Amino acid sequence: MKKDYLKLAAVLGLVMIGLLLGGCGESRSPFAGTYRSLEPFAGKNHAELDLKENGKGSWMLAGKTVMEFTWVVNDGKPWFYLRNGGILIATPTDSGNNLSVDMTGDWHPGCPPGSCVVFKRVPEGG
Amino acid sequence: MAEEQGPFSSKEGDGLKLCELGQEVVLPAGTRIVTQGEAPEFFYVIQSGKVKIFRETADGIRTNLTELGAGAYFGEVALVTGQLRTASVETVMESRLIKVSKGEFDHLMDNNPQLARHIIQQLSQWLITGDRRLETETVHQVKFRQISWFDYVLMIGLSIALALVFNIYNDNRIPLIQGWGEKGVIPEISLDQALEMYQKNTAIFVDARKSAFYSQRHIKGAQNLPLILFDLMYPMFQFSLTQDEGAKDKALIVYGGSFSRRFDVEMARMLKHKGNARVMVLKDYGGWPRVLPVEEKMGTEAASLHLGLAGLLEWLPVSIFLLILIPPIRRSPYLSVVARLLLGAIFISFALSKILRPAVFALNTVDYGMMPSWGVNLWALVLPWAELLVGLFLVLGVRTRAAATLIGAMNIIFIVGLVYAIHQHLPINCGCVGEVGEPVNWWKVLKNTGMLVMCVQIFLFDRFLVLDRGGFILRDRTI
Repeated sequence: MKKDYLKLAAVLGLVMIGLLLGGCGESRSPFAGTYRSLEPFAGKNHAELDLKENGKGSWMLAGKTVMEFTWVVNDGKPWFYLRNGGILIATPTDSGNNLSVDMTGDWHPGCPPGSCVVFKRVPEGG
Repeated sequence: MAEEQGPFSSKEGDGLKLCELGQEVVLPAGTRIVTQGEAPEFFYVIQSGKVKIFRETADGIRTNLTELGAGAYFGEVALVTGQLRTASVETVMESRLIKVSKGEFDHLMDNNPQLARHIIQQLSQWLITGDRRLETETVHQVKFRQISWFDYVLMIGLSIALALVFNIYNDNRIPLIQGWGEKGVIPEISLDQALEMYQKNTAIFVDARKSAFYSQRHIKGAQNLPLILFDLMYPMFQFSLTQDEGAKDKALIVYGGSFSRRFDVEMARMLKHKGNARVMVLKDYGGWPRVLPVEEKMGTEAASLHLGLAGLLEWLPVSIFLLILIPPIRRSPYLSVVARLLLGAIFISFALSKILRPAVFALNTVDYGMMPSWGVNLWALVLPWAELLVGLFLVLGVRTRAAATLIGAMNIIFIVGLVYAIHQHLPINCGCVGEVGEPVNWWKVLKNTGMLVMCVQIFLFDRFLVLDRGGFILRDRTI
């Protein structure tokens, strides 16, 4: 019986490791950086997206952070997990220099027109 | 069969000398000497070595009965009863045997009363031992079939405990009950009053649901401010209010449509928090399509996201479901093991993302519109842990009947939710395997039905590789 409990404890340990590893996902490096909106919020009223390599991200409007989130890369696309449970999926274009963020909070094969915010990567130091 | 040091340990009987009978044979290890079901021809006495005696069913289930060494004998049961061989015998190591023909055996019995009496005593002893074994096995089977409330308390209690503890340390933790302890009661407005305000244009209607719901149907002229994007969309919403002359004198009436009241009540709180003084919610959360003018659009079928391995795994229950339709396979305990491993893997893999991000699953739960507000987060926290633990119990073979009933119960709840969502044409994500891009359709119902049938099969026929109340059962079980 003691062996059975040990076996159960070992499996639970493996599950916990699985949970930890499951949180890692694909490498974030290709998408980490700062992005600035091109449309529909361009120019003075632009929005900024800051994707940190540690999985934290923030969305800024007029220099103020309006939303913080965590992000992972699934199947080559950055997914933003909002604190309230919403998910925004970004589609990379232009070799990852542009991100089209689907603002419906659902999955669509492309970014639906009218519910899409396009961001362009800001070069480091730029 | 007899114990070692039987009447043949000395090579002399009272009437006949054994060395005068039979023929000596030497057999290497693993040689089948007697096969169950064949006609008896010989009686055997072991001079040296070891043999094992076992029974085997048509579907390959082997029961080891005993092992015999030097001085023991076997093969007499079929010769005495005149029936076919009742068990098979194989050498465990190289063995030297004396092989006595049926005629010689009969002659030996006729001329050796001591041996005849010994064999009768031995047969009687087996009857008694057999009865005891039968009783032990029956007790074991009865215990195996028993399901105790403790099993359920253990699984559910453990799920609740782990869910609560993990939520404390999870970066993506959620409150146990959304809005619990929030200050400020949001006033409610009846549909008639709302209609009056709509007609007098003294209110701005705010649809707090996800955009897919809004696109499908909304109050004519209402603005969509999805709760999940509140922080991002509020500045734009505020800007639109400044463009509307007289907006500052209008009330904000927030509506949702879900029994869970997640969207409307929480949105109203947030609007109030942002400094909007006159915020109200519709009292009859689902009644607005009947009373207020609405704009509707036929829903387009939601796109599905490629779900990878989990998506493939999900199809296997349908195959098992088809296998179960074949009568000889239906009852197979091997199928139970396959079903257990498969269901276990499915539920474990489905549980992991939900455990890590309970808020996503909570919103999926809200979308079904079947869960009261206080239950949404508790459900979103505990269910994934229950899926994980019960899945583990199935894989490990611990309390599998209780685990199968719990997974079956979950599947019934899922099927009811899916059918309701299809019936109501809800534009929602299933929340079954993936977090998004998983439309609700009849295929999902079929897959869940397949899993439910697997649970029934496990409940009825699972008996291999399980740790139950009677101990651990292996395929090759020695009794």
